[in-house]
Amino acid sequence: MKKFLLVFAYEYKRHVLRKRFIFAILSMPLMVGFVIGLSYLTVRLNENPSPIGYVDPYHIIDNPQQVPPSPTSTSPAVRVINYDTENAAKDALAAGDIQAYYVLSQNYMNSGEATMVSGPNAGNNASTDFGDFLRYNLVSGLPQVDATRLINGNNLIVRSLDGAREMNANNWISIVLPLLSGVLFFIAVNITGGYLLQAVVEEKENRTMEILVTSISPTQLMAGKITGDLMVGLTELVVWIMFAIVGLSIAPKFLPIDQTINIDPGYMVLLLVTFLPAFIAVAGFMGAIGSMVTEMREAQQLAGLFTLPLVVPYWFVTSIMFNPNGPVALGMSMFPFTAPIALPMRAIFTTLPFWQVAISISLLWALAIFSLWFAGRVFRLGMLQYGKRLSLRDAFNRG
Amino acid sequence: MPSIDVREISKKFGNLQAVDKVSFTVEPGEIFGLLGPNGAGKTTSLRIILDIFKPDSGTISVLDGPMSEEKKNLIGYLPEERGLYQEMQLDRCLIYLATLKGLTESEARSRVNDYLVRFDLLDARKKKVKELSKGMQQKAQLITTLVHEPQIVIIDEPFSALDPVNTQMVKDILLEWRAKGTAIVMCTHQMHNAEELCDRLALINRGRVVLYGALHEIQHQFARDAIVVESSQDLPDGLPGVTSVQKHNGSKLLTLAKGVKTEDILRTLLERNIPLEKFEIAMPTLDEIFIQVVKESGGEE
Repeated sequence: MKKFLLVFAYEYKRHVLRKRFIFAILSMPLMVGFVIGLSYLTVRLNENPSPIGYVDPYHIIDNPQQVPPSPTSTSPAVRVINYDTENAAKDALAAGDIQAYYVLSQNYMNSGEATMVSGPNAGNNASTDFGDFLRYNLVSGLPQVDATRLINGNNLIVRSLDGAREMNANNWISIVLPLLSGVLFFIAVNITGGYLLQAVVEEKENRTMEILVTSISPTQLMAGKITGDLMVGLTELVVWIMFAIVGLSIAPKFLPIDQTINIDPGYMVLLLVTFLPAFIAVAGFMGAIGSMVTEMREAQQLAGLFTLPLVVPYWFVTSIMFNPNGPVALGMSMFPFTAPIALPMRAIFTTLPFWQVAISISLLWALAIFSLWFAGRVFRLGMLQYGKRLSLRDAFNRG
Repeated sequence: MPSIDVREISKKFGNLQAVDKVSFTVEPGEIFGLLGPNGAGKTTSLRIILDIFKPDSGTISVLDGPMSEEKKNLIGYLPEERGLYQEMQLDRCLIYLATLKGLTESEARSRVNDYLVRFDLLDARKKKVKELSKGMQQKAQLITTLVHEPQIVIIDEPFSALDPVNTQMVKDILLEWRAKGTAIVMCTHQMHNAEELCDRLALINRGRVVLYGALHEIQHQFARDAIVVESSQDLPDGLPGVTSVQKHNGSKLLTLAKGVKTEDILRTLLERNIPLEKFEIAMPTLDEIFIQVVKESGGEE
């Protein structure tokens, strides 16, 4: 046990204390932050805070009021100015006092028709802001509850028959986050698997293996390596999730996110029980590949056989989304190599029967246990074959 | 009680019988040579003793019982394929490997430091292993083999690629550890080194033990009816009882006729007032025995 911990600590520290790891762990949130920041900047650069004018010759809006600033809005509300005549509005546009003006038609209440006249610097926000202004003023005479409801528009909620799950059309983040978690899982699995692969192949290449196996049992050695590298992967995931939490808590201050992020705790449990055996299974197979081959390049080629099936459900995301109980979705959520992504993906769009979850998770655990057994066996047979690759046939036949 | 007792172990890889009913014992305080040509089954035998491979049949007793995880801490192993973590700092690498042999980190640190001083590697302790010369890496590997004060030392081809200075250093260390009572198994095909160091040996060819016993007994067993004579003057022709005289490393090798005793030749030489600087029974070298036995048992693989 003590030696297992020594190997575990060695494996963990050799990655985590390297500059390259810190760079890798930070590069993901920094990249995401950079992309979000760039998108935000692009949007903001296309906004124009100058006032908007309008001409209301048929007095559709009585006693116009400015829209009060929204607590979730990141940009200040643009002031809307009423002009008595179109000429006055035109002059103001020419003088640069306003970015654009609208002329409400006589038939506006029936057709919603308004004409926009804009200058060269009109922002992308002009139509949205003027729309908000119109909506706000048109419902101002109604009771507050009705007015708010009308302004917020429709919100479609799909609820399962037993009422256990529901999906809110406005709460898109709750759909996107699980999909993203699958991507994060895949990246973490790849990185962790890569570390393990590298560790075993390196020890074979630099001939440390023979010293190690005469000091510690192959089972303890392999278990120490797998757990150490798993912890490296989990460290990455935890750090990324923390960045995500921090990011999501500060994002509404800068981005127009006006929804509560509501993730079902049951879903988180499902993610955990799916990802953990999958993590172990992939790690086991990586250890086995590392023991079988003689050089890193060969190992990486073989590793793809085990990691690529994980992303297959993303290729069929439309099929899973629109037919989450169909044969493709069901098959993928049962097949252990695609289940880690397919099962949680199905769970977003449908209520999974308990037996399906139980079979899928059991198969995943069976695969995890098999991969550890296989890794131990291949490791024992292949670790000292320096110049020659261990064949799968030998892995199963030799004692 | 022998430190290692190997009885009738066999191991097959596919169709290749790598080890075939090999038996030997290694006692505490001796250097035991496991000799044989390349591919004879020496390394496989060692790996079976070390529990890296399981034998197909036969038994092995190490320190009075089967190999266990605890016993691994009592064995020092220098494999033929040397290996250390190339990207690691030398002292950290040695300390990590020493802790895997059951030492606490502080013990490991202190002992590694002592060995670094002894092996003149202290200045290199903060260097990455890959930055060390081959000789330095060999010495570092030897530290890994000895740092936990093992009761059994198993070394596979300890002199390969070593310069004369480092070869002598390794020899001195082996003799020092033998004097401490450590059982040492040395696997080599460098017969002159084995002859210099080994107390007993087993010669393996094609997976089988073809010669086994104490070195001097084996040499006597293979001794020819011949003597080596060194003299400042030429030996007379037609010495009675001598069938041929050959040059032999600056001396003369006299082959004796059947039934002739060495004392008879000595007496004859003295009676003829031939000055003698050397007169000894011609013992075959281990190299000669090796070649003879390997040829007789069917050559190399």
